[in-house]
Amino acid sequence: METSKKSASLHKANLKRAALPYYYLLPAFILMGVITFYPLIYQVIISFTDFQTKDLLKQLSSPELKYVGIQNYVEIVMGGLPVQNFEFFRILTYNLWWAVTNVMVHVPAGILIAVLLNTQGLWMKRLYRAIYILPIVIPPIVVATVWQNIFDEQYGAMNQLLSVIAGWFGSADPVHIRWLNEYTPPIPWLLPNGPLTLAYYAMMIANFWLGWPFMTMVATGALQSIPKDLYEAASIDGASGSQQFWNVTVPLIRPAMIPAAVYGFTLSFNLFNFVYFMSRGGPARSTEILVTFAYDLVRNLRLFGVAAAFSVIIFFVALIIFLITNRITHATESYSEA
Amino acid sequence: MASVTYKNVVKKFGDSTAVDNINFHVEDKEFLVLVGPSGCGKTTALRLLAGLEEITGGEIQIGDRVVNDVAPKDRDIAMVFQSYALYPHLSVYDNMAFGLKLKKTPKDEIKRRVSEAAEVLGITDLLQRKPRQLSGGQRQRVAVGRAIVREPKVFLFDEPLSNLDAKLRVQMRAEISKLHQRLQTTFIYVTHDQVEAMTMATRIAVINRGKLQQIDSPQNLYDHPNNLFVAGFIGSPAMNFFPAKLRKDGAKLVVDSGDFVVALPADAAKKYEKYEGREVVFGIRPENIHDVHFTPPNIHGETISVKVDVTELMGNEIFLYLVNGKNTFVARVDPRSKMRVGEQAQVMFDMDHVHIFDAQTEEALH
Ligand SMILES: Nc1ncnc2c1ncn2[C@@H]1O[C@H](COP(=O)(O)OP(=O)(O)OP(=O)(O)O)[C@@H](O)[C@H]1O
Ligand SMILES: [Mg+2]
Repeated sequence: METSKKSASLHKANLKRAALPYYYLLPAFILMGVITFYPLIYQVIISFTDFQTKDLLKQLSSPELKYVGIQNYVEIVMGGLPVQNFEFFRILTYNLWWAVTNVMVHVPAGILIAVLLNTQGLWMKRLYRAIYILPIVIPPIVVATVWQNIFDEQYGAMNQLLSVIAGWFGSADPVHIRWLNEYTPPIPWLLPNGPLTLAYYAMMIANFWLGWPFMTMVATGALQSIPKDLYEAASIDGASGSQQFWNVTVPLIRPAMIPAAVYGFTLSFNLFNFVYFMSRGGPARSTEILVTFAYDLVRNLRLFGVAAAFSVIIFFVALIIFLITNRITHATESYSEA
Repeated sequence: MASVTYKNVVKKFGDSTAVDNINFHVEDKEFLVLVGPSGCGKTTALRLLAGLEEITGGEIQIGDRVVNDVAPKDRDIAMVFQSYALYPHLSVYDNMAFGLKLKKTPKDEIKRRVSEAAEVLGITDLLQRKPRQLSGGQRQRVAVGRAIVREPKVFLFDEPLSNLDAKLRVQMRAEISKLHQRLQTTFIYVTHDQVEAMTMATRIAVINRGKLQQIDSPQNLYDHPNNLFVAGFIGSPAMNFFPAKLRKDGAKLVVDSGDFVVALPADAAKKYEKYEGREVVFGIRPENIHDVHFTPPNIHGETISVKVDVTELMGNEIFLYLVNGKNTFVARVDPRSKMRVGEQAQVMFDMDHVHIFDAQTEEALH
């Protein structure tokens, strides 16, 4: 009797103790419930409806709201939306390509610049380091506007520069390249599924300016943590400058660069503000990425149900990307002691 | 196989001189240890030889070849770094094979050399591991292994044992000595630990403030230090020094410290007679000071009275910290000694093993 009573009260105490953490978590859960879970669930629900502008007032209780099952999803993936120039897989492919090519340019360039700036005895190192923070701190809308102007057909700096260069080769005509509006792709076979218009290249250039400083920053940190005597050992072992780069520098900054590259990939993949402000996804949706298209569905086409379904799809795409990149990041353990 | 020669070698970093006009010659197959206090320039001297620092003045030869302008990889040297400097992303095997791969050595040859070196160092089982999976002592062996497979003419070591614990250090010391005998190659070894220097070297070069103080065999360095610095640096506990004056007392030549007066034996007196009246520094090693009750036979002893300040029992010997007037000094006496702290006692200086230095120049008097 005595012992069972004792154990019962013990049991109770244990339960109490086990419950304690949840009390602490409760406020966070309530907050998240209101601002995250509710909209999320709401969105999933309307993704199965033909929600339109006329339903906005009464929302889910609107008498005209029709549940259409998975029709929105089917129409997005198989085509059949009343939207011009939209093929889901072309946009998805382009979006992945956009993110991958950006990272493939930013990471090596970032490393190269970091290595150059890390040269011993370089003058005014601090100044350069201050300068390359600039692109990170300037608001993207400003950046996009400036680059939009640079690529302007009539007055843009890019065409003027090209005119000058053409002048050296004896051409008197001013260059008029329609960077952001020309639809014919310059290299048609590069991404046959979704042709890469000039706007893509223009945006690559502009986004390069935006993207390399972060990679340089990470690479600089990583470079400075490489012990100098590894290079000395390598030079005694007979490694030339480039062999030292490939055999010491690259493997030793890899643990820092891979997470940075993964981060850069996700950032570019969802780079809404830059893409939207610079090209609006055009011309003819050739530079559209998933998030800008989703925005267009709501903002201009007012297809709320479809947009909701589209967001759910984006969520799953992002989830798959997250799972893959997470694996990559985990697979690159650092070489340190632990 | 090669000798090494330093000729008027100078290295400056900006205005500060790290290596100041050093001259010495290392014979083929010698084990030379560069020793000196922290910051004296030993590492710099070694790095000049490796080609990791540019020489400011003078020249360095390996064999008959002046190597001032030769790239590190072409100097036929191998270096073991204090930090080991193993490539963290490569396995032990690849760490050792790295240099050979760059030289496009055939695969079987690489394999043969690496396994041979691993065999010698007892790391055959570790070849597939990464450096982070090794203990300090094992890393140290890998670093040595990487040097061995290069089959260099000269091995350079920069304090390779300083990151190991005391026991392992003693063990590795013996192994490096064995390795030297086995490889029959020139070794140049930097350390600030004079025990390492004494136990491993065929010759020791003592450096202080960038200058070579003395280069000689360990025994000669110990018995006949050239100057006060070497006398104080080599030996532990360090030699005791007393400012004193040489003067005649009747027929005898005596060392007068102001507090005690000790007479030199006849042959020493003859040697130092010409310095009569000179201000000197009188030096005697702790082991040459004995408890009067336990003195070895047949020494020319001089007794002085002391107060015992501290005693340190070491088991096989006792360190006594003694006071005589304004002088404090250390004696290393027989473990049976009964001297107690605070006691007045008598100790005996073995006058056959004393050192006399000029007080001005700090050079040994001969
Ligand atoms: N790269 C450098 N730039 C400027 N001064 C240096 C440099 N390397 C060494 N020195 C200076 O040269 C002197 C000798 O340094 P070195 O590293 O040779 O000393 P060390 O004898 O090896 O000392 P330790 O036992 O502490 O390793 C020191 O005063 C040091 O500050
Ligand atoms: Mg050093």
